[in-house]
Amino acid sequence: MSKIFDLTLIYATIRSATPILFAALCCTITQQADILNIGTEGIMLTSSFVAVLTSVLTGSWMIAILMAIVSGVVMALIMAVANIKYSANICAIGMAINMFALAITKFGIKRFLGTSGTYSGPDIVGIPRIHVAAFDNNVFLNEVFNNWCITEVLGIIMVIVMWFLLFRTAWGLRVRCVGRFPMAAETAGINVRRLKYQVMIISGVMGGLAGAHLTLGYSKMFAENITNGRGFMGIAAMNFGAQNPILVWGGTLIFGCIDSIGARLQSYGIPSQFILMLPYIFTITVLVLAMWRKTTSEARKKSAL
Amino acid sequence: MSAENYVVEMVDIEKNFATVKAVDHSFFNLKKGEIHSLIGENGAGKSTMMKMLYGLYQPDAGVIKINGEEMRDLTPGKAIEKGIGMVHQEFMLVNELTVLENVILGFEPKKGVTIDFDEARKKIQTYIDDYHMEIQPDKRINQISVGEAQRVEIIKTLYRGANVLIMDEPTAVLTPQECVKFFEILQELRKDGKSIIFISHKLNEVMEISDRVSVMRAGKYITTVDKKDTNPTDLAKLMVGRDVNLHIKSGNAVKPGEVVLKVDNLWTSGEKEISKIRGISFEVRAGETVGIAGVDGNGQSELIEAITGLRKVEKGTVTLSGKDITNFAPKKAREAGLSHIPEERNVRGLNRSMSIEDNLVALKFDLEPFTKHYTRNKKEVRKFAEDLIEKFDIRPKKADVITQSLSGGNAQKIVIAREVDAGGDLLIAAQPTRGVDIGAIESIRTTLENVKKDGKAILLVSADLDEVMDMSDRIVVMYEGKITGILNAKDATKEEVGLYMLGQAEQDRKES
Amino acid sequence: MEKEKSNRYVTLLLTLILSMVVGAIFMWLVGYHPLDAYVQLFKGAFIGKVNLGTTLQKFVPILLTGLGFAVAAKVDCFNAGIEGELYLGAMAAAWAGHYVTFLPGILHILFCFLVAMVVGALWAAIPAILKVKWNVNEICVCILSTYVAKYFCSWLCNGPLTAGSGIPQTPNITDDAVLPKILAPSQANFGLFIAIAIIFFIGWMIYKSAVGMKFQMVGLNKKNAEYLGINVKKVVIQGMMVSGALGGIAGAIEVMGAYGYFLDNFSLNIANDGMLASLIVWNDILLVPVMSLFVAALKAGALSMERFAGVPRSIVDTITAVFIIFATMETLFQVSKGRFAGWKQKKQGNSKSEGGKSI
Repeated sequence: MSKIFDLTLIYATIRSATPILFAALCCTITQQADILNIGTEGIMLTSSFVAVLTSVLTGSWMIAILMAIVSGVVMALIMAVANIKYSANICAIGMAINMFALAITKFGIKRFLGTSGTYSGPDIVGIPRIHVAAFDNNVFLNEVFNNWCITEVLGIIMVIVMWFLLFRTAWGLRVRCVGRFPMAAETAGINVRRLKYQVMIISGVMGGLAGAHLTLGYSKMFAENITNGRGFMGIAAMNFGAQNPILVWGGTLIFGCIDSIGARLQSYGIPSQFILMLPYIFTITVLVLAMWRKTTSEARKKSAL
Repeated sequence: MSAENYVVEMVDIEKNFATVKAVDHSFFNLKKGEIHSLIGENGAGKSTMMKMLYGLYQPDAGVIKINGEEMRDLTPGKAIEKGIGMVHQEFMLVNELTVLENVILGFEPKKGVTIDFDEARKKIQTYIDDYHMEIQPDKRINQISVGEAQRVEIIKTLYRGANVLIMDEPTAVLTPQECVKFFEILQELRKDGKSIIFISHKLNEVMEISDRVSVMRAGKYITTVDKKDTNPTDLAKLMVGRDVNLHIKSGNAVKPGEVVLKVDNLWTSGEKEISKIRGISFEVRAGETVGIAGVDGNGQSELIEAITGLRKVEKGTVTLSGKDITNFAPKKAREAGLSHIPEERNVRGLNRSMSIEDNLVALKFDLEPFTKHYTRNKKEVRKFAEDLIEKFDIRPKKADVITQSLSGGNAQKIVIAREVDAGGDLLIAAQPTRGVDIGAIESIRTTLENVKKDGKAILLVSADLDEVMDMSDRIVVMYEGKITGILNAKDATKEEVGLYMLGQAEQDRKES
Repeated sequence: MEKEKSNRYVTLLLTLILSMVVGAIFMWLVGYHPLDAYVQLFKGAFIGKVNLGTTLQKFVPILLTGLGFAVAAKVDCFNAGIEGELYLGAMAAAWAGHYVTFLPGILHILFCFLVAMVVGALWAAIPAILKVKWNVNEICVCILSTYVAKYFCSWLCNGPLTAGSGIPQTPNITDDAVLPKILAPSQANFGLFIAIAIIFFIGWMIYKSAVGMKFQMVGLNKKNAEYLGINVKKVVIQGMMVSGALGGIAGAIEVMGAYGYFLDNFSLNIANDGMLASLIVWNDILLVPVMSLFVAALKAGALSMERFAGVPRSIVDTITAVFIIFATMETLFQVSKGRFAGWKQKKQGNSKSEGGKSI
């Protein structure tokens, strides 16, 4: 048991959670404006490819992140235009974006990286890790806080920024209003469409970071469908946290923890397929629990007894 | 009077929705410091006209001037900037947010990048003090009453600096007593130099409060008159275009018979705190109409949903013709003899994407002769539908028209035709004439009267107090999910019912 | 949803042309010859017995999964999990085809189909039940559960049900469970006729039967259906189960017709193509077959396009994805008909729906 639960599990949790965290933030902001961002997966996948490609071409992880963000925003804007301007069903356009991302990255890896399936060349420049020399001597600090990837720190900062934005600023108040009663916002002179575009752009930024972190921070490679449902895990975490960034973060940490524990179970002779299955089963369970809690608490609030 | 003195001028306005002319060459103007009523039937175009002034719709033709300045591409934002405020019929308040957040929305005072709630609170307090409007800034909207929500709406417009207040059917949600208080607020606002547009179809209120009255009918502007030069009868004629008798009095031909519906100590959940049903008991007998009166949102909808099986009964029983139907699924409740005209016609009552015939046959499409060997027989459906269309005078007289395009009155006739044809012992009619034109109102009320004559029991819910008083034999008054009084319709006065609607009578009883 | 029919076909055609043009520009930009590519694509799809056979073989599962998606859409469910149902159905058929040996000929085939349908239907019932009970988003559950189904099948064909040849696959099904081939040497098979029969059955079910009427009533307006006495939750679950059963049949035909065994990861997102075909035609059951054939042709043609024009076949997926992005935009071509007219129409449409309540 001690092989599974030790000090390194804490960082392993953070590590597994961060890609899902960015994905979750990507759909948290849109959900506040009542847009179910099914395309999270696609935004993330596209930008993860763009990140790797830029990193290989320019040798700069910073430019890579920047380009990943740009591509994320472009994908989010395609969704936004389709949904807001041309009244596309949000689920349909979301799935369309996912399929598009799958196809275009498959094409891109063949055309631009000259391989099919997986690319993990040594010329991928990853996102650096922060090494604090002062932590070296303390086992706890070293295991838990040392050598974090920059984007892992950024993820936590983003949680706070997003929370502040939504619950402390006028803009956040307006977003929450648009999500709950758009006519109330419109009659208050708020340009609902413009606000929705703004929300989608921020969502694209988060999705871009999610992708960049996945291929340059979490792992240094790109593979077909590398996101593997992480976008949907992000949506599950968003539901778990009831669109509150802080609670959402908590949700992703649970997912990360399960993922890390699963990885350690492999040495116990459990078939690899079951270990690979574990995060998905767990995510569904959490999603169901979150919705069950929501419906029962709503029912309780409405009860006359 | 020269044009400069008008705060608002709307000239030769036209507005089409798809193929319907909602507003057709209409005019409206407003002087500073006056209360100007805009009256007309449902669908006359009053709301549409005012929504154009508020920038929610763009007119297809015509000129809108505010303070003499011609406005183009008006948006709500611009309208607010020009001092226009609107209290919508359906309140524009976000349930999950607090009163304070709702009021400042869009015009948030800021401290750095955050919202300055203290500043906002201070500013709102001045309006509360000035106009004696009690509101609780830190409550969430779903915790406050309809009357308070309306005050929040008024403060919202004042907070945004409105000089012109548009009130769309504001008294529909108030008791007679609350109306008096509301009119006092209007008078005070006028004294402070605000100009007020009062949209209504209740002529006695219009006569009480207005300086001038404009009339619209079927999208067209009819005329504008000074209050002192007119009277309710003339206005009614202008509104409808002919003489009308709206007071189809409940006939006493049938002597009430057996108890059909018995509701005993019913408890059920509610969308709002004040709409939770807590211990309601009453009976409806064969051949009588029992009307439920009360301000909207005091649990009437929840009560009906609980009886019809659409909402879970938490305690108590519902008995229909001697059979316990508590928590029956809607289908079983219908089989037990319950018919239901729901209040939300376009959501519950009709499937708007389907044709007239499919809506008419919706209760029995899977039975013979409409379905044989699992396959639907469309010929039988057509025959059945054409029969009902003829009988209930539904227009257009084409069974395959999609109901989306129908007027409120004809849409409602479809629902009523289907439910009356189902022939249950009990007919529940919730807001049967809401949003329908006067011609349809007459026909719907006559239909209900005939159902009663056939010896069926009718439970009528209506926010229109006149309708309840005219149609019912007995009146059940609801306030905050409880019954405050059961009255005999013949002896009751409007003021008396109004008192019960305020929950006043109950308090008196408690005190004495 | 209800557009005028003729209008729909025009829109569909315009969308198709637009995406072909966008695809061509894209190909040209990244350095390929678009016309050459399209010619090879067409040749590869239809010219020659093998090519036609490949198109038809690909058509069957795309059609069935597309119909499955469309049926679920009729009850307002977004069944993004047909891939999982297809895998499980395929596995079930492979199991029944090899291990259930006491049934003679046709009964064996029917039994395989039955098992595949039941498994697919039950798997699809999970997201449906979660949706109606606690309002859990079915898309999320579908996508996530598909991974579970895939890994589970992968485990089965690597472990308990492996043929033991080192390749992750199950043993061959017995000969009496194999569907006869047509257009040999392609993999097209008798499943094609089963699929065509299913088109008629589903068309009848949705548009002519009382069950279909219930599906539509629930899909278009749940509150109305509930009030009329229809058990909405039951109907939603039924709809999803029919959808899942179709996915199961698709998997069974792949195993019993095309391969003869279950091969790990054999599908490569066939169900995605089905979903795409259905989404493009706004889940119109009568148009799904047409669009499925089109998508199947693209898929089949892509192989020879890659071989003869040197264009990676994933470009075809990209173009179809672009196609669907455009197809989802309901009001796209209202604008291009004439800027002003289109704009005005749209404005009115919007304000009409808003105004409906309060006028």
